[in-house]
Amino acid sequence: MSDTVTIRTRPRGPEQLPSPTARTVKRLLRQPITMIAVLWLLVVLVCAVTAPLLAPFDPNDNDFTAVLQGPSAEHLLGTDENGRDVLSRIIFGARIALLVGVGSVIIAALIGIPLGLLLGFRGGWYDRIGTRFIDIFDALPGMLVAFAVIAILGRGMLPIMLAIGLIFCMNIARMTRAVTLAERGKIYVDAGRVSGLREVSLLFRQVLPNITGPLIVQGAILVGSAITIEAALSFLSIGLESTTPSWGGLLGVAVTKMAVQPFMIFPPGIAIVLTVLAFNMLADGVSQALGSQRRRRLRRTDRAAARAAGAVGAAAAPDADAVLQVDDLTVTLFSEDKRVPLVTLDHLTVGRGEVVGVIGESGSGKSTFARAVLGLLAPNLHITGGTIRIDGKDMTHAPPSQWRKLRGGTIAAVFQDPMASLSPVHTVGAQLVDTLRAHRRLSRRAARVEAAALLERVGVRGAAKRLDEYPHQFSGGMAQRVAIAIALASEPALLVADEATSALDVTTQAQVLDLLLDLRDEYGMGILLITHDMGVVAEVCDRAAVVYSGSLVELTDVKSLFDAPQDPYTVELLAARERRPRTIEARVPASEEVTS
Amino acid sequence: MLKLIASRVTLVIPQLLIVSALIFLMTYLIPGSAASAILGDARSTPDEIARIERLLGLDKPIWQNFLSWIGGALQGDLGTSYVSGRPVSDALMERLPATLSLVGCGFVVAVVIGVTLGLIAGLRAGRPVDRTVTGVTSFLQALPEFWVGLILILVFVLALGWFPVLGYVPFAQDPARWLYGMVLPSLALGAGASALIARQTRTALSEALASRYVDTLTAAGLSPVRVVMKYALKNAMVPVLAAAGLTIGILFGTSLVMERVFSIPGVGTLLLGSVLNKDIPVMQGGAILLCVIVIIVNLVVDILYGVLNPKARPQ
Repeated sequence: MSDTVTIRTRPRGPEQLPSPTARTVKRLLRQPITMIAVLWLLVVLVCAVTAPLLAPFDPNDNDFTAVLQGPSAEHLLGTDENGRDVLSRIIFGARIALLVGVGSVIIAALIGIPLGLLLGFRGGWYDRIGTRFIDIFDALPGMLVAFAVIAILGRGMLPIMLAIGLIFCMNIARMTRAVTLAERGKIYVDAGRVSGLREVSLLFRQVLPNITGPLIVQGAILVGSAITIEAALSFLSIGLESTTPSWGGLLGVAVTKMAVQPFMIFPPGIAIVLTVLAFNMLADGVSQALGSQRRRRLRRTDRAAARAAGAVGAAAAPDADAVLQVDDLTVTLFSEDKRVPLVTLDHLTVGRGEVVGVIGESGSGKSTFARAVLGLLAPNLHITGGTIRIDGKDMTHAPPSQWRKLRGGTIAAVFQDPMASLSPVHTVGAQLVDTLRAHRRLSRRAARVEAAALLERVGVRGAAKRLDEYPHQFSGGMAQRVAIAIALASEPALLVADEATSALDVTTQAQVLDLLLDLRDEYGMGILLITHDMGVVAEVCDRAAVVYSGSLVELTDVKSLFDAPQDPYTVELLAARERRPRTIEARVPASEEVTS
Repeated sequence: MLKLIASRVTLVIPQLLIVSALIFLMTYLIPGSAASAILGDARSTPDEIARIERLLGLDKPIWQNFLSWIGGALQGDLGTSYVSGRPVSDALMERLPATLSLVGCGFVVAVVIGVTLGLIAGLRAGRPVDRTVTGVTSFLQALPEFWVGLILILVFVLALGWFPVLGYVPFAQDPARWLYGMVLPSLALGAGASALIARQTRTALSEALASRYVDTLTAAGLSPVRVVMKYALKNAMVPVLAAAGLTIGILFGTSLVMERVFSIPGVGTLLLGSVLNKDIPVMQGGAILLCVIVIIVNLVVDILYGVLNPKARPQ
């Protein structure tokens, strides 16, 4: 077995880590669509700044001998109802678009950011009342707000900017609040507070810089929307006067003359669409560049290619007693440019009525192994070698339909977080009844009776009544019992329990483990217990496999594991358990991409 | 259920009060005063203005006026238009069906297109279909609705002649022709909003599909079709419903512009005239009517949200 997952400890000198801003910009430069968007926005900006130089005509030059013309050599985009050159008006219109767009977002930011910071940072009653107020204001149709502002202040550039700013400020406040709320809990804020920073300087110097990224993204989107709203207002002729050339104003004229000169609706419309699209693309790009460290694109890889990549070794002989038999298994992560083997396991079996523990740290690949056994690997993970046999059947490259048959009675699973394991919007009864009916021909009523019995069996008191309750009405331990009941509905030969008790408190954990053992005795199923807790292994397992960095380092019965550990890593794990505070971080492999 | 409705309704009452107060205050904020708007520039002598202000009750304290305005509004009396002299409520009721038709049809278009596109993309997240849909929706989002309307008119009315120039026919008069006339306006109105719903649906569904409960139920042997159609879908619909509620307010706003594009005699065109003429009673009446409708629709969405999502119900 080749040791392909090497631990690379990159020297992290300050000279090698560029600033976050520089990194984001670098990523942006690598996105072709964002660059096209930026290019177009530059064109608009150049038009706006140098309009008098670029425009072939004065935008307000009337020529009544040539009204409503189509495109010609003299007027590339034709003329409007007063014979004014459309191209020149479009070029000058870029000024209005950018001014109104950016101006109104600045106004919105000036109102919204302080409001959102305050609500998010103070929390409590400020937040409750303030958020309610934001909701009220935000529910109003934006266009009505604009109508009202223009009715009060009259037409013109400033009223429009103020109107759009007012429409957007609640959006910005809401967003700032949400991000601030998330930032508030972080350590640096506490540190600042402890070191005696005043609230205002803490907010603006510490919190604000940390939320600039999302704000820039939102700002870019809003500039685009502002341009659309300005265009709509000018189109309705309550925006800017017609002496100020704007894209919306041109469209307002175009609609009245559409029967005579339909071409006129295209130039301003396309200018608006391209500019708004460019702002949206820019926002998308920035948000991707900001987040791409965390969000790696899951690339679905070709099943056949994956199979071909793995060497098909000689299949080991099936063991008749084993519910689960794994031989020479390799699970590989396919990322955009490399393939990383995450799990390599030479031999592991689970017999009927046997509890086998798989123990390892987070990131050791034990959960990936569990998902491979369940046939639930993420689309970028593939089995590239070895075999998995369940109840004697080779399931290594089994198609989904075969897995489905197996899940109908041979194999079931319980996962870590019981709340996430149950659908929050369906009653517990519905989920149980559906599972039961998937396995047996039962009437709805009979399935309900069965479900209640099953719930009662796993220790939920008053089960018949609780069938109509939702998962959030259950405690963590009780919810996990429900999840176990769902898994038991198929009377499986093999139960995979992936950190099934890790999220529970110690007492509840012991109860759930006892339940699993009872059920093992009653149903005679084998249990594959994935855990990071040596205590759990000691308590319930017959045998245990110690996994480190994706490989099996030791597989033995529990007694000898604790009494005479063979591998130094096992020794370390045992030692770590006795001296809790000490972590064995130094040995965690460098596979952050591993989906746990 | 009753508890849910009661808790949501109590939240709406302060909302209605604040919104109506804001709208009422407009009277006092508009420069040049109501009196001079009625009189016109020529007759605006100080004596005349004082007389009209007494007539309008503007000399009384502000809260007294507010109460009598609210009281009137509750009885359907929104005052009379400065320009036409007609009761505002009559003019609004005459035009409300057209606006509701437009917004209603636009909403149906937005939901049908949005949810369909979102489901297609969400079921195949990360695949070419998903990327195509995402591309289409970001394009749709960038299109100004009123311009889409213009293009539709150009193509289907002027060039192809499939639809009449003035398409709006009241529902009561001829339902078939009403629907025919609604096709283009509701398409133009709903296209942009559908992008919002599509994105929300896509995200919600792909998140639901990647969730633990889908794993649990799949591992327990439920058929994938059932897991998706019953479990993932219902979970995904929770945020989609919230997004749909949000689009209602947006659609009402956009409809004000769309009415002008398709010459639909709705509240929007009436309001537009009142902004230009500073016809305050009409503006206030129209604004309060639309706001109340939006608030009530949001209330319904909020209640539905509670029905769909047990966690959002009052305990």
